[in-house]
Amino acid sequence: MDIVVGISDMKCSNKKEDILVTYALGSCIAVAVHDPAAGVAGLLHFMLPDSALDGAKAVQAPAMFADTGIPLLFKACYQLGAEKRRMTVKVAGGASILSDTDYFRIGQKNITAMRKIFWRNNVLISSEDTGQNFNRTVRLNVADGTCLVKVSNGTLKDL
Amino acid sequence: MVEKILQSISKIPAFPAAVQKVSELLRDDDYSTRDVVKVIQYDQAITANIMKMSNSAYFGSRQRIRTVQEAVVFLGRKYLHSAVLTAGVSRFFQVSGGGYVEKGKQLWEHSVAVAIMSQILSRQLYKREDPVLYTAALMHDIGKLILGEFVHDACERIEALMKKRNCSFLEAEEEVLGINHAELGGRIADQWNFPPLIRDGIAYHHRPDLLAEEGSVAGLIYLSDQFCLMAGIDGGVDGLAHRGIGSVMKKFQLREVDLERNLILLLDELDQAADLLQLVH
Repeated sequence: MDIVVGISDMKCSNKKEDILVTYALGSCIAVAVHDPAAGVAGLLHFMLPDSALDGAKAVQAPAMFADTGIPLLFKACYQLGAEKRRMTVKVAGGASILSDTDYFRIGQKNITAMRKIFWRNNVLISSEDTGQNFNRTVRLNVADGTCLVKVSNGTLKDL
Repeated sequence: MVEKILQSISKIPAFPAAVQKVSELLRDDDYSTRDVVKVIQYDQAITANIMKMSNSAYFGSRQRIRTVQEAVVFLGRKYLHSAVLTAGVSRFFQVSGGGYVEKGKQLWEHSVAVAIMSQILSRQLYKREDPVLYTAALMHDIGKLILGEFVHDACERIEALMKKRNCSFLEAEEEVLGINHAELGGRIADQWNFPPLIRDGIAYHHRPDLLAEEGSVAGLIYLSDQFCLMAGIDGGVDGLAHRGIGSVMKKFQLREVDLERNLILLLDELDQAADLLQLVH
């Protein structure tokens, strides 16, 4: 079954038949994790880099921010039996408009914030498709962790 | 190509007369509710849509609205124009797509999101709703709908050019088609006798910096559009391939943190505006 992950949302599953899908990332980032041994997968669609922007919102919707959303994603997967050492991490999104100014850098800031969090927690990103100016859609297969990225111009990529 | 495209403008359906008439009636501060109701009821599609929308949380509805009369009173001066416009123009987006957009619904959702963002900015900067800005924002990509039927083949050439030169969608469009969707939208606005402020808002929504007298409408639509693209609410194949013009942010004294905060507000308001988004299937 397709389980849709909305913007600023997170879902995880241990059902083989499930596919976690998130549409139209824009500058947002999808973090797709999978533990093959436990058969657990999780997908986060965060929008902004830092929850310091709005503390109340971070409590109400922690999946909105990189620094509150990523821990939430891992904890939810642990609850289904996943273990950190076995988990693969794939990321997509963080696009930007063509800009020579510093005013519209949300995509880049999201990528940097996410990388810092993983680096600090000794987590390696196994593959990624980030940056540039495409709008991306991500499909994560719970059964085998396959992660397909569809780009706004129609190309399909297996991360 | 350009001539063919421009000729096609004359074939587009007329702008809903009821929307024009309501705008005219609302110009009078002392407008009569009865007159407005009469005009709305003359158009069945608008009547049906108004009833669907007037119970929407976006317009602050608390009690159940049962008649057009109640809707007109409830929406009041603040929201009546935007609501009637939204109810009236959704018909243009009821298309199966082809070319720039997979489905008309996708472009409708983008257009409503840009209109909602334009009001967030208007409230932040000027402390008010702005029906003129709302109109131009909702209609800003109308050129894309008309171009849809011409760009089946051109689409691939536009994408190839963007890749090769790393140029914007707009620049590639101009080179391949001889006209961009924003400029074409401006011509459609002329055909529909829109006021110059709205026409320019549509025609310059990607390049407000090119307007000799840079009004706030084009600039605010530009920003609303870019913000929505960043949130992933895009209007088709162009994705985020548009130029960032920092001077527009400066002009309105906006900082990046305002952009981030407005994205949060946009998500909240889109939740409340579900009834508006569902007007196109």
